[in-house]
Amino acid sequence: MIARIRAGEQSAMADLYDRYAGVVYGVALRVLTSTAAAEDVVQEVFLQLWRNPQAFNADRGRLAPWLAVIARNRAIDLLRKRPPEDDIDEMPISTGVNLEDEASQKLVVDKVRGVLGGLPQDQRKALEMAFFEGMTHSEIAGKTGDPLGTVKTRIRTGLLALRKVLA
Amino acid sequence: MSAHPQFAEALALYAMGALDNPQDLAALEAHLGSCGDCRRELEALRADTALLALSATGPQPPARSRQRLLSALAAEPRAERRNPQRYALGRLRRRWVTIAPVMMMAMLAVFSILLWRDLRNTRRSLNRTQAQLEQVQSDLARTNKDLAEAKMIRDLMHAPDAWPLTLVSRKTPPQPQIKTVYSKQQGALLLMASNLTPLPKDKIYQVWLLPASGGAPMSAGWFKPDSKGNGMMFHKMASADIPAKGFAVTIEPAGGSQTPTMPIVMEPAG
Repeated sequence: MIARIRAGEQSAMADLYDRYAGVVYGVALRVLTSTAAAEDVVQEVFLQLWRNPQAFNADRGRLAPWLAVIARNRAIDLLRKRPPEDDIDEMPISTGVNLEDEASQKLVVDKVRGVLGGLPQDQRKALEMAFFEGMTHSEIAGKTGDPLGTVKTRIRTGLLALRKVLA
Repeated sequence: MSAHPQFAEALALYAMGALDNPQDLAALEAHLGSCGDCRRELEALRADTALLALSATGPQPPARSRQRLLSALAAEPRAERRNPQRYALGRLRRRWVTIAPVMMMAMLAVFSILLWRDLRNTRRSLNRTQAQLEQVQSDLARTNKDLAEAKMIRDLMHAPDAWPLTLVSRKTPPQPQIKTVYSKQQGALLLMASNLTPLPKDKIYQVWLLPASGGAPMSAGWFKPDSKGNGMMFHKMASADIPAKGFAVTIEPAGGSQTPTMPIVMEPAG
């Protein structure tokens, strides 16, 4: 699909949108909690990929997780009123998880939600504050009253818990 | 995992853009520049964050969003598209050119683009590193200045001929006195005590922060005065931004207590 986009085929973008708009919109809506702002992120992310398909390197990762992270980063920029990066730089993401067809993606999403639900509440909260609210570890420590070291450990072990279950 | 353990937690924060300490950030980015294992671990951590992002999958954008995107694509100027392959193929159509030079031209074009991209990325990361370096240098200068001041205070306090003297009204005998300086923002407390009653070996003076909210007193450190009843303490609270209406001091067993043991021996004047 990426090859078709590189060749300038608009129909490939339509296919890509049908396949992944839900991923991009879901994460943007979770961060921004506004349907209009989330819709803008969808437009931006797909337009940038159209303009610069080289930014996605198919040898170094898969499209769904890459789009999800790009969408999250853009949404956080908007949330924190930061100017956007002028370009979606090449950002390698290495994952062996298969997300390319709808059924396997649903399976992964269910598993991830299961793991998140099973994490201790403090740990899940720290992960969510960092990822969906774009807070830095010092900000999280300031808000929760937990020591910095505890916050760092919670975030790392939370991420690793996700990886372990899907390994 | 063969990534370096000393960077493990910073890497996880970095993968989310949540690492905000300029020194840690500069150290990690410098390390990433030379450590393939840590770069691979960063890629894996990004994939973990992608799973988090996918947990939000579910709601679908409204139908108009698709049409809006397709219209925007149609309006995009084609001249901006970068396509090195098309450039090479265009050259092939010129019949008088043999295949070998064409291939070389194509390869040169591809190499130039790759080199240009490398150069652009290097330049960007150089700019970022330069900015971080300047930030670290200015932080370092500030820290050195603070450190020099703190050292002067400490040296004075510990000088063999240090002569603590409290001036009081002529008719008042020397009274136990504690002076505190508290910064809510820094969550830090400096305390200077004089003329306190010396304590038995197994007792200490414990300081309590009295929250402005009226909540239970929170431990703000403890200290033991010297034989003349003088002491100094610097304490960092577990977190910053705790509004205080004052501080109080009690006598507690060595090692400190969770809650104050009455009576209060020192409290704010007035």
